[in-house]
Amino acid sequence: MTSTVSASGLSLHYGGTRALDDVSLRLTPGVTGLLGPNGAGKTTLLRVLATAVPAQRGRFTVLGHDPGSTRGRQEVRRRLGYLPQTPGFHPDFTAFEFVDYVAILKEINNRAARHREVRRVLDEVDLGDVRGKRVKKLSGGMRQRVALAAALVGDPGFMVLDEPTVGLDPEQRMRFRELIARAGEGRTVLLSTHQTEDVAMLCHRVLVMAGGRIHFDGTPAELTARAAGRVWSSAERAPDAKAGWRTGAGTFRNVGDPPPGAELLDPTLEDGYLLTLDGHGLAVTA
Amino acid sequence: MTTPRRLSNVPELLLPLWRTLPWRALGAAAALGLLVAGASRLPAGFSPWLALNALRAAALAFALGLAFLLDDPARHTTATVPTPRPVRQALRLALVAPFAALWWTAAVLLVPAEVRPPVGAVTLEAATVCALALAGAAAAIRRTDEPEPGVGVGAGLLTVAVLAPLLWPDRWELFVTVGDPEWADAHERWGVVLTVALVGCAVWAREPVRRLRVRSPLT
Repeated sequence: MTSTVSASGLSLHYGGTRALDDVSLRLTPGVTGLLGPNGAGKTTLLRVLATAVPAQRGRFTVLGHDPGSTRGRQEVRRRLGYLPQTPGFHPDFTAFEFVDYVAILKEINNRAARHREVRRVLDEVDLGDVRGKRVKKLSGGMRQRVALAAALVGDPGFMVLDEPTVGLDPEQRMRFRELIARAGEGRTVLLSTHQTEDVAMLCHRVLVMAGGRIHFDGTPAELTARAAGRVWSSAERAPDAKAGWRTGAGTFRNVGDPPPGAELLDPTLEDGYLLTLDGHGLAVTA
Repeated sequence: MTTPRRLSNVPELLLPLWRTLPWRALGAAAALGLLVAGASRLPAGFSPWLALNALRAAALAFALGLAFLLDDPARHTTATVPTPRPVRQALRLALVAPFAALWWTAAVLLVPAEVRPPVGAVTLEAATVCALALAGAAAAIRRTDEPEPGVGVGAGLLTVAVLAPLLWPDRWELFVTVGDPEWADAHERWGVVLTVALVGCAVWAREPVRRLRVRSPLT
């Protein structure tokens, strides 16, 4: 399959901190999940790929355009949708006016066509009924959908979504997942998240990042399979487990190398994720 | 997909950009500036020295409002649009420039003609202070992730304005009074500071394609 995004050797250091350390990747159409602990470099990678921050080393192309030049960056930005970790709004704008403003900034100049496009994306995120409402009057989940609509406007070929489900209640999160799944049909979406459920439900591929590097690149099923035979239940916290936590049933769920005769459990994506982090000498919160 | 002509979206952009300007801060700063300039009409303060410094203080008040000009709560949401940041910042400035010119004219006219300092020279000083405020705002946007750095920039400008007359070297005197033999030379220096501030505005407005140095860490 043709790559939408192709990056090699991306590096970015802040003083002594390696936010990105020689990251190479290829992204293809569909939703790719990016998992990692806080400070892993996820947001930095997303911001670099979204052309918000330039890398110090390395190269990448988006849909065949190299953002390493001013002209190339313009071309990339014309094909990009970006939902930042903390999207901001002009609170006195209505949802329609705000998305229209972003559409103008995205150089959709024909007013009639632009208004059609704004109505289309607002309908797509189920905000058609409240498009005349001021952003400051909308709930947090609705605002997040306004930001998604702003990212979708202009039908971008590559979308970068940075923790879009943070702060949403379970119902809003489910709704948002559906919108992201829809957005991923026919285009490339890179989704950063702390929620392994998001990845399990949405993504055809997952990257695990820590310490500025990518430590896993495969399907969610492959990440889950890493924990096969390495998750077990016990009455007490297992001292040799890489990670263990008390469940609602009063037993402990442990991941690591099980003792002989342990009661093995079916692994989840989260178990595979924890073991991947541990396998690279990274601390796992027990 | 056809590539839009460069900057062809500017006419459509003017109205929404107008609405995003910090009119409350600008209005408050302008009102305060006019009050200060009007103080020179008080009978007790009818002197060229007070008139000059009232206009300087009025310009500083307005510049404090301009420190908010580049505040943009939607900064992160619009960080990667194809319309370049320098264009958006220049449009903001262009939209506020007629208001600033009208305001300054009113401030100057509030000062009685008999004590009014040379308008060209004092306008140069006012333009310099405003350019410094804009350069500070552009630098804050360029070097931090803060979407609304106006308060910090304003505080910094106020600090500089208080300290500069105290710490500025005598041989590069800027704050001279009308009739002082240094008046012309001082205003040449004001011109230099204005040029430096404008260059700062232009440099800090640009978006870096290649990263050279990084100040603020990201997660």
